[in-house]
Amino acid sequence: MTVHIDENLVQDDGGGVSCRHCGAAVGVARQPLRDARVRESDPRTAGPSVRADAGHFADRPVVLRQTFCPGCLTLLQSEIVPGDEPSGRTRAVAVVDR
Amino acid sequence: MPYVIGIDIGGTFTDAFVADGGGRVAGVKTPSTPPDFARGFLAVLDELSVELGIDTGALLADTHYIVHGTTSTLNALVTGDVARVGFLTTRGHADSIAIMNLEGRYAGLGADRVQDMVRTDKPRPLVPPQLVREIDERIDHKGSVVVELDEEGTRRAVRELVAAGAEAIAVSLLWSFRNPAHEQRVGEIVAEEAPGRYVALSSDVSPRIREYARSATTIMNTQVGPRLRDYLRPLEAELRDLGFGGSLLVMQGSGGCVDSADAPSRAITTIGSVLTGGVVGCTRLADELGHRNVISTDMGGTTFLAGLVVDGEAVSTTSTVLGQYQLNVPMVDVHTIGAGGGAIAWVDAGGNLHVGPRSAGARPGPACYGEGGTEPTVTDVDLLLGIVNPDNFLGGRKQLSVDLAAEAVRTRVAEPLGLSLDEACAAVYAIQNAQTADLVRKVVVTSGQDPRDFVLYAFGGAGPMHCASYAADLEISEVVVPLGPTAAVFSAYGLAASDIVLTAELSAPTNFPPDPADFNAAFGQLRAELDQRLADQQLRFADVDYRSEADLRYTMQLAEVATAVPSGDLDEAGLAGVGAAFGHRYEQLYGKGSGFAEAGLQLITYRTQAVGVLPIRPRLTPVGAAEGGARPVSRRRVFLDARRGWQDAAIHDYRDLAEGHEIAGPAVVEAPTTTVALPEGCTGRVDRLGNLVIRYTQAREDS
Amino acid sequence: MPVIPVAGSEKFANLPVGAEETRRAVGDSLRLHDVASSVVEGLDPLTYEVVRHRLTSITEEMGEALKRMSGSVVVTDCNDFDAAIMDEVGDVVQVGLYNTELAASLDMAANWTLRNRCARPGIAPGDMFLCNDPWVGGGLHQNDTSLFAPLFVDGELFCWTGAVAHQVDLGGVSPGSWSVGATDVFWESLPTPPIKIVEGGEIRTDVEDVWLRRSRVPKLVALDLRAKIGANNVAHERLTALCAKYGADVVKAVMRRTMDDAEQRLRAKLREIPDGSWSSVAHQDSARSGDRGIYRIVLTLTKTDDRLVFDFTGTDPQVDGLINCTFAGLRGGIMPVLLTMVCGDIPWACGGIYRCVEIISEPGTINNCTFPAGIGKASVASGWATTNVATECLAGMLDTHPEHRKRLMSVCCGTWDFALLAGVDQRGGGFVTMLCDSMAGGLGARSDSDGVDTGGLACIPMGRVADVEMNEFAFPMLYLWRREEPDSGGPGRHRGGVGASSCFIPHDSPLGGVHLVVSAPGKALPLAGGLAGGLPAGTQYDVLVRDTDVHARFAAGRIPASLDELAGTTDLVPTHHETDLGPADVYFTHWQGGGGYGDPLRRDPAAVADDVAAHKVSPGGASEVYGVVLDDRGAVDDGATTARRDALRRSRAGLDTEEVPA
Repeated sequence: MTVHIDENLVQDDGGGVSCRHCGAAVGVARQPLRDARVRESDPRTAGPSVRADAGHFADRPVVLRQTFCPGCLTLLQSEIVPGDEPSGRTRAVAVVDR
Repeated sequence: MPYVIGIDIGGTFTDAFVADGGGRVAGVKTPSTPPDFARGFLAVLDELSVELGIDTGALLADTHYIVHGTTSTLNALVTGDVARVGFLTTRGHADSIAIMNLEGRYAGLGADRVQDMVRTDKPRPLVPPQLVREIDERIDHKGSVVVELDEEGTRRAVRELVAAGAEAIAVSLLWSFRNPAHEQRVGEIVAEEAPGRYVALSSDVSPRIREYARSATTIMNTQVGPRLRDYLRPLEAELRDLGFGGSLLVMQGSGGCVDSADAPSRAITTIGSVLTGGVVGCTRLADELGHRNVISTDMGGTTFLAGLVVDGEAVSTTSTVLGQYQLNVPMVDVHTIGAGGGAIAWVDAGGNLHVGPRSAGARPGPACYGEGGTEPTVTDVDLLLGIVNPDNFLGGRKQLSVDLAAEAVRTRVAEPLGLSLDEACAAVYAIQNAQTADLVRKVVVTSGQDPRDFVLYAFGGAGPMHCASYAADLEISEVVVPLGPTAAVFSAYGLAASDIVLTAELSAPTNFPPDPADFNAAFGQLRAELDQRLADQQLRFADVDYRSEADLRYTMQLAEVATAVPSGDLDEAGLAGVGAAFGHRYEQLYGKGSGFAEAGLQLITYRTQAVGVLPIRPRLTPVGAAEGGARPVSRRRVFLDARRGWQDAAIHDYRDLAEGHEIAGPAVVEAPTTTVALPEGCTGRVDRLGNLVIRYTQAREDS
Repeated sequence: MPVIPVAGSEKFANLPVGAEETRRAVGDSLRLHDVASSVVEGLDPLTYEVVRHRLTSITEEMGEALKRMSGSVVVTDCNDFDAAIMDEVGDVVQVGLYNTELAASLDMAANWTLRNRCARPGIAPGDMFLCNDPWVGGGLHQNDTSLFAPLFVDGELFCWTGAVAHQVDLGGVSPGSWSVGATDVFWESLPTPPIKIVEGGEIRTDVEDVWLRRSRVPKLVALDLRAKIGANNVAHERLTALCAKYGADVVKAVMRRTMDDAEQRLRAKLREIPDGSWSSVAHQDSARSGDRGIYRIVLTLTKTDDRLVFDFTGTDPQVDGLINCTFAGLRGGIMPVLLTMVCGDIPWACGGIYRCVEIISEPGTINNCTFPAGIGKASVASGWATTNVATECLAGMLDTHPEHRKRLMSVCCGTWDFALLAGVDQRGGGFVTMLCDSMAGGLGARSDSDGVDTGGLACIPMGRVADVEMNEFAFPMLYLWRREEPDSGGPGRHRGGVGASSCFIPHDSPLGGVHLVVSAPGKALPLAGGLAGGLPAGTQYDVLVRDTDVHARFAAGRIPASLDELAGTTDLVPTHHETDLGPADVYFTHWQGGGGYGDPLRRDPAAVADDVAAHKVSPGGASEVYGVVLDDRGAVDDGATTARRDALRRSRAGLDTEEVPA
């Protein structure tokens, strides 16, 4: 059964995850963003709403980490997190063979 | 003979009631004529003349005053057909009307919608951003000027608003109720820069603390003021042309009226104009019948309204919510507690039966209307239980389909629950009545009263079909169904029997007790303002009555409690008496021991109401006394009580009844405007004015 | 000093206990009412609906009563309270639509009381128990004080009612009981396990005195105690009448079925959703004043058939500071979003809802801390962060279903912006108040529409802020502004709701200034994450400008509209801070919006233009984040927008070496 993981991603019967906008393969059920493009940059590039530099308040580095569709470059995931820890945002929708 | 007339224009019907000084009354009902409601106004006058057997000119020439209840203001706000308003406020605070104290996301919504939080939203902005300007000026909590008014900047802002298309200007500055100097100066500047434009100052419209509601009230007032003015002026001119020499008065939400010349400047007070007629009618009828405490329940096709009369006075509130905005409008406290006969019965995903709050509305309406509705409603159930005669609904104006009603109940309720059609109908009827009792109870209890101390009045097309049951659940021992000659135009009767009511208020928050001199001066100022406005009404009053109150609270509490203040100047002992009266009222509202005087008291707002009693008070005319017993016109099987099931019941035609007739349940009384259900255990008696008074002859439990 | 275990505190380390075990613990000391399952099964739809509706209206009446009687602005104006009806073992049958995180652990407190107070001092008709010990339950931090009352029918304990509200000050080092320097609970308000404060219908004055003695505002706390007594009394009167009319067994059967119904409907909904697991993380910067750490809560939500497992494995250990929360706080973090996003159309009978939920969490972690870790701001620190992480996971789960995704939100207002003022008011009286303006946080974006601007907080469906005039009347302060802040809503195809800011100076206090306590994380990194590519909402941002020329500006007829217009010394306020404001010191506090949903470059350009006109997005934000170029009149320049979006799409993914100039 096909499942829409969110408005950008779809998972097919075989557990393949692809982009709903361009069809590019992005990953598999256990790692839906496996083949996506990840880029880390300064949190201030997220826009004017990140008002002050993280260094004023904390010693650990803080990064904007974004994940993009390898085909159409649609933004699939955004997080502003300590740069020294791996992303804690994952998901795995069960593959249902129906 | 001098006449007084009440004309009540609702969305669907225009009702009129006339009385002369000699006890003659008449009522008529005609369709409303949206969007040009004035046409219906004139048409109903013609009908009234026909009823009296004189021509319209003669009627108008002898009419002292017409009291008009109009839906036009409310209608304008609901449909958004309002004046384009520019808004001026203190720099830094324009977003107050967007933030809406955040409560704007859910204010006025039922619990089921509040719970579904993700799907709640704020309403559209009251004023689009390009029509809002902030000006430099600041007054503090004491009324002291912190920043002088920037007059040049104000001029610039007014010119910009006019250039952006503002037809009218609303001004609401912080603390203007403490010191209106800046607002008044802004008003002058607007008059200079934009002569002839409607302008409203918050310190005039609503000089009450809390800027969000004050600003929203001022803006909405400005949106509807020009529209009300444009409606009333030509209407009055046309009446003059027809020979009318009296006063045209407009009903306010407060339950009192105001001269039509004065109404537009405080247009927002008329938003409850048509809602309150029923409660005012109840107040007058209660006066006739000697009832001091009344619960008014008006169950129509699409709404269920509840209001209270306590000690002969309609219970009022100082605020209301409209379109999720909080408004400072003194109103008779009419609560919409349900969807009336249109409330939909449905089964949820867990297999539980509910009634309402969703409504089938006027379109498609109940399934039995045959206008496309497929969901079962309370009206469908009333039909299937034999209470409603399909051939005599709304006096035979609408033919109802039993088959469609049965189909709806069967498919949507009975089958999903595995019940028979009868069981399903009985359950819906009982749930509707029990829920009504819960909701009415909440209204009564929230105002600090006990339902058992009340007589319940039931009107509207559907109310009398259910009242005996929900009243019993509330342990109310007497129910009145107004059925006299005025029953069909009950609200219009209320209008004709109303008085001029003007309210003046002023917030001056302070610790309580304040210096008696300040206290007396505040009420003196309100009294002087009211005297001026009373004189402006150009009417002769039989009497003028002033009632003063102060909104007090325990320090830091949200809820102020309006506390009666005796007339005349008060000394320290008098003020202590007011404080004690607050404590008493507080305990009445919130329970014994709930007050904690050590926290200290604060006085937030002074308020005085002037009631100009109009010289003519329409009296209802007695119906004839009965000769012999009431004789039913037929019998049919009805289901009025789940514990008793189907019963053979006497069916009476109300037109055959007279004073003194008694009907024991189970029975049904069919009147032109409604149907009254009398379950077993209660008796209906026709009183001298033709009302059906229901009493319980045996203790009964909730059906 | 590091937190060291306290022997003897285990007694209070409460965990939810089932009905059977509770009955065993109570034994013969008390008769607990019960009803046979046959009565529950035999309920007819009519009776069920009538009694259920009445229970709902009783809960509403309790809430109304509490709110009207309370003296705390956080209760009366901000709805930071709740009320609930529980069955005889404490399972929640019905919770009010107020602060749902408060009511999430009333069951634990009532149940603990049953097990630990039934023998001595005993539980009898007319008794009420007070509790502000979050290890026991009934609240998330010590300020949350619950008062719960057993109702007896025919000599049996029939059910419990409970009311809980935030008290403004219950002692501790700092005013407001948020001791920003706290390393453990001993800096804070004393936690009080359930104590019988009302006995036989009368307040025990000795107990009340002990209770009030700790507070800086004892009169206010006394008034609120009476408000809660009143709320319980209202409920008992109504429930007694209900039992008299329908019989205690029938009323109890309706309670049981209400919980069963909520459970069954939640299970049915869960079965419609694909199985899977969703992991997320929520951060908090700084655990106490001077601390520059960043701490995390990790959650993996696994949905299997009709069950939810919340597994917090991987969460950081508890810290020296005031940001930890107990297990009650963890539950209080989960329940609000479970109710609003998943149970928006299901009865809020938490007793039934909890049956679908399993929680895995290691004691000693930041959101399941052991005594004596500091928990002074648990409700808005680790409790809140738990809400944030639960929001992301539940939203991800809902997003897979075409219908249920309409009820997801991105994270709402990432934190509570705590600003407490204390001092002497303009009438010469002492005062302590929490500034509740930040109730007006932005709600998270939805999958089909924007988040509500200044729409509130996830945990309080009916939040409220006081008018500026009421705050200025009550407290010695004068606002320069209170306004929505452009760009503060998380960018996305659907934008998160914007947050707002308040800027004020002390005004009219005989002391000249006021004391200020600040505790507001989200400054090093935003806390309201986005979904489906949507960006987080903005950061928390508090600025104190010392010794400004604001009074000279006033005299010159001007109200400063931004901090840039003020002369003075500008300090970025750290996450935790305690200081005094002088008469010319300007305090600016800017709280968070809601996270975005979807790629902002996919947002309808016309919606962005509307946002700019309405000051929800700045022109710079429109260009930098949304790639929308506006012409002089504020309309979308289609050609330039397409070009800019094409360029941004590549540059933000790091595909072009040169950044696109804004």
